[in-house]
Amino acid sequence: MRIAELERDDVLLRRAAKGDEEAFLLIYRRHQAAMYRFALRMTGNTWAAEEIVQDVFMTLMRDPKKYDPSRGALGAFLYGVARNRVMKHLERLPREVALEEKNEDGTGSGVVLQDASTPASWLEKRERVRQVRDAVQELPVEFREAVVLCELEELSYEEAAQMAGCPIGTIRSRLHRGKALLMAKLEMLRGVPRRASAAR
Amino acid sequence: MKCEEFESIGLDAGRDSSLSEAEGTAAREHAATCSHCAALQDSWDAAGVELRAFAEDTAMAQAPARVEMRLRQEFRTRHVSMKVRRTAVIAGWALATAAVLVGAVSWVNWRGINSGAAAKQSKTSQVGANPAANNADVANNNAAAQPDSAESETLLADNELSDFTLLPGTSPADTLDAAILRVRMQRSSLGALGLPVNEERASEWIQVDLLVGNDGLPQAVRLPQE
Repeated sequence: MRIAELERDDVLLRRAAKGDEEAFLLIYRRHQAAMYRFALRMTGNTWAAEEIVQDVFMTLMRDPKKYDPSRGALGAFLYGVARNRVMKHLERLPREVALEEKNEDGTGSGVVLQDASTPASWLEKRERVRQVRDAVQELPVEFREAVVLCELEELSYEEAAQMAGCPIGTIRSRLHRGKALLMAKLEMLRGVPRRASAAR
Repeated sequence: MKCEEFESIGLDAGRDSSLSEAEGTAAREHAATCSHCAALQDSWDAAGVELRAFAEDTAMAQAPARVEMRLRQEFRTRHVSMKVRRTAVIAGWALATAAVLVGAVSWVNWRGINSGAAAKQSKTSQVGANPAANNADVANNNAAAQPDSAESETLLADNELSDFTLLPGTSPADTLDAAILRVRMQRSSLGALGLPVNEERASEWIQVDLLVGNDGLPQAVRLPQE
């Protein structure tokens, strides 16, 4: 591992602002996957997620002074920028494309699950994942954000609240309501009788 | 803990660090005693498992390589253009400074030339007021500055000498070092030099060029045309 890879984000960002391409790429490689996953889970659209990630890092490239190290980590700042872009995207466009990337013939490229022992169990798992994905995409944006941040990104309530710019109680409430809607949706899809309290 | 409270804060008590120890314990005890909330907790956990499966499905997702390529290209364009802009600004300032310097030097030179010409002109006008001195100066200047001009004046003197009439008893060799002297005299005085004089006009004043030798005696005489 080179010394540059151990450098702090703010140091790398200062170098990048002076024209150091390698420093900028290091920052990008550190944070792009998290940004992409967040955008993908929120939008359910690979193209949108790609655009959002590019937009986030373009913003960083154009105006690196927007990031103030005294106010938090660069990752949190980038999450904030990505969140704004996601919200704009969701306001502007209806959900169009499924999370899964399509091949040229229209079939899904799929993700090979490592624990799939048989084709049948693999298909069953794929189907479950698809249902969850669709259910998440159908959640209202605020609830979806809470579910993505707390359940999928596995952030703590505090971190999620900071990211979403709201109190912890709001995040908790949104998560509970989002998860209840999600459970109701999944149970309905699987033919399980809906609990009265689930969607409350 | 009551069921409503459990549904609002107890379902995720295991990971909610904002809850106190006592609240967590109360939630666990309530789930153990209330079948409705226990079922809700199971359903909640099942949803958590489903979400984790979904999360795993996209855990390895990352932006395509083309995004990095686009960013890299943009970065290079941006910073190269910044460098070019900076260089252009520096070059512009350098050119402007050079232009100002050239202008200043040209102006100083022009001022110098103009003042020199003016001084010469005023000197010339002063000299013009005193032609004799002027001629002498000019002659001196010419003699000093241009050696060839002395020779040309000598040639001119030879020509002039050809207009002189040698006085009786004078040989042409005697006139080589002679000087020309313009005098005003009565015509009758020409007789003293051995020249014929018209008696009727003897009293007239005339201007005569005398060629005076080194001994101070006139060698030849010329009557300049008036």
